[in-house]
Amino acid sequence: MAAAKKHVKIVKKRTKRFNRHQSDTYKCVDANWRKPKGIDNRVRRRFKGQAAMPSIGYGSNKKTRHLMPSGHKAFVVHNPRDVDLLLMHNKTFAAEISHAVSSRKRVDIVAKAKMLGVKVTNAKARVTTEP
Amino acid sequence: MSEHLQSNVSQDLVWEICRPNNSYLVKRKSGGGSQFSRDPLNLMNKHSRKYAGFVNNKAVGIQPREDGGITLTTKKHKHLNRPAANKNEVSWSGNKSGPKIYKGIVNYTAKQGYRADLRQEAVARASAIRQSQRPKKEDPEPKIRGSKAKKAEEKAT
Repeated sequence: MAAAKKHVKIVKKRTKRFNRHQSDTYKCVDANWRKPKGIDNRVRRRFKGQAAMPSIGYGSNKKTRHLMPSGHKAFVVHNPRDVDLLLMHNKTFAAEISHAVSSRKRVDIVAKAKMLGVKVTNAKARVTTEP
Repeated sequence: MSEHLQSNVSQDLVWEICRPNNSYLVKRKSGGGSQFSRDPLNLMNKHSRKYAGFVNNKAVGIQPREDGGITLTTKKHKHLNRPAANKNEVSWSGNKSGPKIYKGIVNYTAKQGYRADLRQEAVARASAIRQSQRPKKEDPEPKIRGSKAKKAEEKAT
């Protein structure tokens, strides 16, 4: 399994969710983010002490965007043939076996990935059993 | 470009038509969206104009052989409209040493001015394939730790 290429340190500027304004006071207001549009809205006007709104400034560094903590990007595979595509990219991409693949076929995929030196993010899923 | 090299359609036009979708193209939304190519004449499996083997009149492909060797494929100058007939193939057995194979690949392609821009990629791919053909070590047995280890010890005694 090839380790990922060296990369800039991954910084997440914010890990907390952005909750919709007043979702804490009304149960009928869901926490999923909706931008406040009202003319007097204090959150929209960014008053002191109000909840922060999502903005582009929270985005990750382009160099580390979509990277997993290991430094790879995920690539969903369904069969060993898909793993072949990553032969020349095993330092930038890791294979992620699609959720609907049976345990029997997972074994083949994991074996293929091992031959090519490709990291599999969910190699143990479905394959190992509880003793 | 000499007379027999000319096809009715330009390479650029083929690329522009096939770029959005073709049978070799594999698109995924995971990892911020990625595009790969299954083209056997694509050295990097990358969906790009430079590496697209079915578009370029000159292209290099390197594939593993069933018995552990490596096959180098290039496109012939003739029969541009007959994909099955315009392939040149050279292959090396797995017993040949790595550097000899790489030298052979370079001699057949870059040294002759045939896609010299792909020299590094071709050698890198051949090397990666050889690496993948080597037998791999078994993963070590996971050590039992904690309460499970204690239980196992009790059972043993």
